[in-house]
Amino acid sequence: MTAVELRNVSKSFGHHPVCRDVNLAVSEGDFVTLLGSSGCGKTTTLNMIAGLEDATAGDILMNGKRVNELSPVQRDVAMVFQNYALYPHMTVGQNIAFTLKMRRLSAAEIRARVEKVARSLELSALLDRLPAQLSGGQQQRVAIGRALVREPRIFLFDEPFSNLDAGLRVRMRAEVKELHQRLGVTSIFVTHDQEEAMSISDRIAVMNQGRVEQFGTPEEIYNRPNNRYVAAFIGNPRIELFPGTLSGGATSPVCRIGPIELQVAHRFLGCSGKVELGVRPEHVRLGDRGFPAIVRLVQPVGPATHVTIDWEGGSLTASLPGFVRFETGSPIHAEIDPDHFLIFDRETGQRL
Amino acid sequence: MSFVKRRHGGPFMRGFVIAGLIVFVLWSAGPVIWLVLSSLMEQQALIAQPPQVVPSSFTLDNFIQVLSAAAALGHGIFNSALVALFSTAVALAFGAPAAYALARLPVPRANNIAFLILATQMLPGIAIAIPLFIAMSKLGLIDSVLSLGFVYLSFNLPIVIWILRGFFMAIPVGIERAAAVDGAGVSATFWHIVLPISIPPMAAAAVFAFVEAWNEFFFALILTRQNAQTVPLVIAQFAGQYQTVFGQMMAAAVISVVPVIALAIVFRNQVVRGFADGMTKG
Repeated sequence: MTAVELRNVSKSFGHHPVCRDVNLAVSEGDFVTLLGSSGCGKTTTLNMIAGLEDATAGDILMNGKRVNELSPVQRDVAMVFQNYALYPHMTVGQNIAFTLKMRRLSAAEIRARVEKVARSLELSALLDRLPAQLSGGQQQRVAIGRALVREPRIFLFDEPFSNLDAGLRVRMRAEVKELHQRLGVTSIFVTHDQEEAMSISDRIAVMNQGRVEQFGTPEEIYNRPNNRYVAAFIGNPRIELFPGTLSGGATSPVCRIGPIELQVAHRFLGCSGKVELGVRPEHVRLGDRGFPAIVRLVQPVGPATHVTIDWEGGSLTASLPGFVRFETGSPIHAEIDPDHFLIFDRETGQRL
Repeated sequence: MSFVKRRHGGPFMRGFVIAGLIVFVLWSAGPVIWLVLSSLMEQQALIAQPPQVVPSSFTLDNFIQVLSAAAALGHGIFNSALVALFSTAVALAFGAPAAYALARLPVPRANNIAFLILATQMLPGIAIAIPLFIAMSKLGLIDSVLSLGFVYLSFNLPIVIWILRGFFMAIPVGIERAAAVDGAGVSATFWHIVLPISIPPMAAAAVFAFVEAWNEFFFALILTRQNAQTVPLVIAQFAGQYQTVFGQMMAAAVISVVPVIALAIVFRNQVVRGFADGMTKG
């Protein structure tokens, strides 16, 4: 069942369009991430789902019902904000209880639910503290607790980890994922961090200039990006793109980059034209086979070593597992499995 | 030179800054110091040329005289407290929601409305004094504490709205959005979230409004007679036709500024934070 659906939703601030014809269908219990660079319209989209912003056009549906005119409370959503948005004059307990107080629940029930949430988030010892007396991670946990205590139908997260340091961010990410697995509540998460999106989501909507460029599973987004933008946005180190000419041929399709001809997958048989050839760093093998290159830079990062080489097409980074030693300036050969090339139409940017 | 040293300057710079601050403090505090000194001096020592500021000429007689004839001063203080409290409390009660609406709610042309409110403060007092006097005379409202309170309210309301609007605009929108998601409507958000975190600017606005009303002289002079006289008018009465009893006048003035100074001391932290927040974030 579809928990949240956006049909041709657009939003403009004055004459400035922020979201254009956004279409999205989030299934019940799914964890969906809106991913994009800053200003791409992802937070505005989330705010429209929450009921904090009105859509200029289009329909927002929840469980099949149009909710455009409903308030956040009527939509039964809970939200975790980027800067936590805790009430600074209230204690942790009061912050978590506020939403229940607004719903006029009995004092006994409020206390029971607050204590339950505090236990599950390890906040019991902090209930009497003010937000200013908490660390960033604790504040974030309170913000999650405030959302959790509502027992809402949909969780919304607006870049909740962007103010945390790297280590804590990874830990909180795991906690949120575990929470989702435990509760199974439909969740929509906004981030600009592609690694975060890949690690946490069932499905990702990659947004660019107010549009959804692709909506799919992390594996689809990574291995079968719809277009050049999605391919370039996902992956670290980034995909390398080289302008070339595709010649389908009759038996063995190739892509010519300068004087070098690279064999590409058989499905490109009969295709031809100006293209961009995309290579993911982990698909590059270095050794004594393939096209000639010179080692320019070696960057060991622990689990992998990123080796940047210069070749006829420009520079290319290979990501090799573990620690690998190369002499900078030494000649080497590079090889790429033809099945792993991503080929994009140079004009439209769409993947062939 | 290190960053810290550059920030604090060398000994010459520090000396220059300290000397400047001393001059500034003397310049600002000079009249107040003279007020206190002259309230403690005998009339003869005070009117001598130059005034004889010596321990032998100090006396508490002025205070004793003023307090023994305390009826007029007490009445003035009571009236001043009444008009100042009334105009401050009502200005806060109406000004805070108005400021919030102008800062945050979709009020059409909110900026223009805010500017119009500010513009009312740009008129010189004398421009409205005569029409105000005529209107109040015709309505039979001259020499009434309540009507003077309403006049001060009309001065204080725009000030309160402007101080608080700047602060409300600086509150992170996320907090109000969180409240909306938590189920608080506009009034609940204002009451439960915005007001409690706005105590410093509210205190700053309150002290500012109270002092304005407490010290106001011109409108009190033209709109009151005997019954509704406020402290500044009572003090002015020590200037007689043939002789001004400076010492008693100053003693009365010292007594009259005590509540204002006490207020400023009690709320000094909130006032400083309130104005600083308004300046840095507004």
